[in-house]
Amino acid sequence: MRLKTFKFGIHPKDMKELSHDCKFEEMPTGEKVYIPLAQHLGTPASACVEVGDYVKVGTKIGEASSYVSCNVHSSVSGIVEGFVLRENAMGKRIRHVCIANDGKYEEDFLPPLENPTREELVARCKECGLAGMGGATFPTHVKLENKNPIKALIINGSECEPYITTDYRLMIDKSQEVLEGIRYLAKAIGAPEIWIGIEANKDDAIEEMLRVTAGDNSIKVFALKTKYPQGGEKQLIYALAHQKVPAGGLPSDLGFIVLNISTALAMYEACALGKPLFSRYMTVSGKGINRPANIWVRFGVPFVEIVDYLGYRDDVQKVISGGPMMGVSLHSFMPVVTKGSSALLLLIEEEIRAVDPTTCINCARCANVCPMGLMPMMTDALVLKNMIKEIKPYNPLSCIECGCCAYVCPAKRPLVQSQRLAKKLIRERKL
Amino acid sequence: MSESKRFIVSSSPHVGSTLFTQRIMIHVCIALTFCMIAGTVLYGFYSLFLVLLAVLSAVGAEALYCVIRKKPLTIWDASAIVTGMIVGLNLPPTAPFYLPIVGSVFAIMLVKMLFGGLGKNFANPAATARVFLLLAWTTKMTAFINPLDYAGGNVSAGDFFSFRFIVDFANKANYVTGATPLAGIKADAIAGLGSTEVNLLDLLLGNVGGSIGEVCAIAIILGAIYLIVLKIIDWKIPAVYLTSCALFTLIFYKNGWNYILPNLLSGGILFGAVFMLTDYASSPNTRWGVIIYSAGAGLITMLIRRFGGMNEGVSFAILLMNLLVPLIDKACRPKPFGYKKPPKKKKGVEA
Repeated sequence: MRLKTFKFGIHPKDMKELSHDCKFEEMPTGEKVYIPLAQHLGTPASACVEVGDYVKVGTKIGEASSYVSCNVHSSVSGIVEGFVLRENAMGKRIRHVCIANDGKYEEDFLPPLENPTREELVARCKECGLAGMGGATFPTHVKLENKNPIKALIINGSECEPYITTDYRLMIDKSQEVLEGIRYLAKAIGAPEIWIGIEANKDDAIEEMLRVTAGDNSIKVFALKTKYPQGGEKQLIYALAHQKVPAGGLPSDLGFIVLNISTALAMYEACALGKPLFSRYMTVSGKGINRPANIWVRFGVPFVEIVDYLGYRDDVQKVISGGPMMGVSLHSFMPVVTKGSSALLLLIEEEIRAVDPTTCINCARCANVCPMGLMPMMTDALVLKNMIKEIKPYNPLSCIECGCCAYVCPAKRPLVQSQRLAKKLIRERKL
Repeated sequence: MSESKRFIVSSSPHVGSTLFTQRIMIHVCIALTFCMIAGTVLYGFYSLFLVLLAVLSAVGAEALYCVIRKKPLTIWDASAIVTGMIVGLNLPPTAPFYLPIVGSVFAIMLVKMLFGGLGKNFANPAATARVFLLLAWTTKMTAFINPLDYAGGNVSAGDFFSFRFIVDFANKANYVTGATPLAGIKADAIAGLGSTEVNLLDLLLGNVGGSIGEVCAIAIILGAIYLIVLKIIDWKIPAVYLTSCALFTLIFYKNGWNYILPNLLSGGILFGAVFMLTDYASSPNTRWGVIIYSAGAGLITMLIRRFGGMNEGVSFAILLMNLLVPLIDKACRPKPFGYKKPPKKKKGVEA
């Protein structure tokens, strides 16, 4: 089988061997959880519980405040102790609901759906607060409710970020549940076909998905070339359908919806078990952690409890929420697990690039690997000279911030940071 | 719990390739070493002395510039070594000792550092230096000799190590001043002959007159393979340049196919294609730009070789195309993924 892929991109060391054999284990929950009301893209949810209320696992504690927003649910049972300001992974101080865990985990689930209609599925997805769990946390119900006719639902099993093995483990250990979730999603958007794209380095996952989908002609499993950023929405669609999502457009303009494996599993749990989204599977890895693991963890558990549970080395240099290419580096272990926490990485010196940037040597490596066809070196040079108007022809707004340019840069220039700065300045100045 | 721990916080990505600027430069130096060794074997120890002198002056010039301008010392990125080596390898083996010094200082001070240092030079420093030396010391820069006569068994250690050229090289019988194959090719082409008398094996081994680094095609090809395998240089530049040279040979010469290999293997075409045309700062940063740039350099090289007043045109071609690079890059600016042409504006509306 010829592997499907996109143009350009890079081959980072995938480092998945650290955790790819670790079966999921349940992370014990501490005495208190801090559940942020803004866990997703869009407007934060508005709290719908009061201090002193008794909540159960799955009780709604935050109500979606607009269309692009998500419900938030309690992950433990216990008393709401109050609302506290804590830093999230992005370093922003936001409101968290603090709940004292009584350890009983009494459940407050919705009734399971039987033979649901399309509208029921979308309503359930909205009610359970599903958001894209790959990291961007875009509210899923918004994707499901689109008006364009859909040709195919694309399930992103590529997991191209190094280190992360969550989706890989899910495809192997929970293949049936994932498949059911995928079917629910396909029904909710009315997609006649389902395409599952998996990178070729996860051959057991490809085999397992082929096994469970055997006999179903509407589902196709594709092996993708192991290349970063294979899991980028636009790159994935190009690899599978050879169509380019127009700049500034959405995949649904071409008739595709892209969702990832974790989201499919959440959909299964929401529809078949009635479970709102209050927990997730995540990878804890990196050479700085004593025991890399794939864990099941409730939202609101501070990272410090996870790293204390698994143990970590003293010489950890960088802590990352998410993958090493697009994740956010943390200055402490205080942020909590949220819908978008696909991984927590503790990296030591030999794994990170911690050298000072030197002058650009104009080698064009960044432009040659950019999957979006940009010229990061030009944006970098111009933004540092504050020539924002001149950047426009270099299209920084098309940048997906995948980090390929900065990865290959021999001068180790922070090219992605420059792109972000350029985007921000262009938007601010309305150029 | 350790709240006091300090972690590095930075923008993504958090991992990176292990290829650094310094490492790239060292790889290029290694590739150039093949040519340096070949040149030393062919023309004796004095050639090595010239190249090392060029390297020392280049590094010294950069250090001096940094000290004078009170800038951080930038010599550790090893780019001055590369420039120095290329300047040295571009000299004829008879060059007086001041030529590498003048050339390197010119390349580093005027072409590289004054325009902003590494990555900011508008043209290849070594090519500019060669052209400068060629115009300033034309006879000295074209005083080529035949290599040591190993086959005849007339090479003694004294011959190899003699610093003869400083004193007087014409007295030594073994070192006959020789014409480069290029002169022969040109004469044949002007005479309208359909073929030219060149021993291709001699060209491959470097058993001909020429600049120190240019003559041994095998050494250059080894260096090219080294750089291309390690992905230090873009293979497209030498490939397109050589193809373009071959193509224009075919067009410009009578029975052009007889001239293709003699042309490609003699003079500076191979050396220029691998080490000079591929200079990062002065080659285009766009995919199509690279192709136009290399093809254009091939055209100019062959125009000069066939119709120009000089036998060799590689450095002039490189220099001319270097100057066109900003224009080429602007014209070849890539369209972003998923780009759609904006609807055409109606005339008159814009104003």
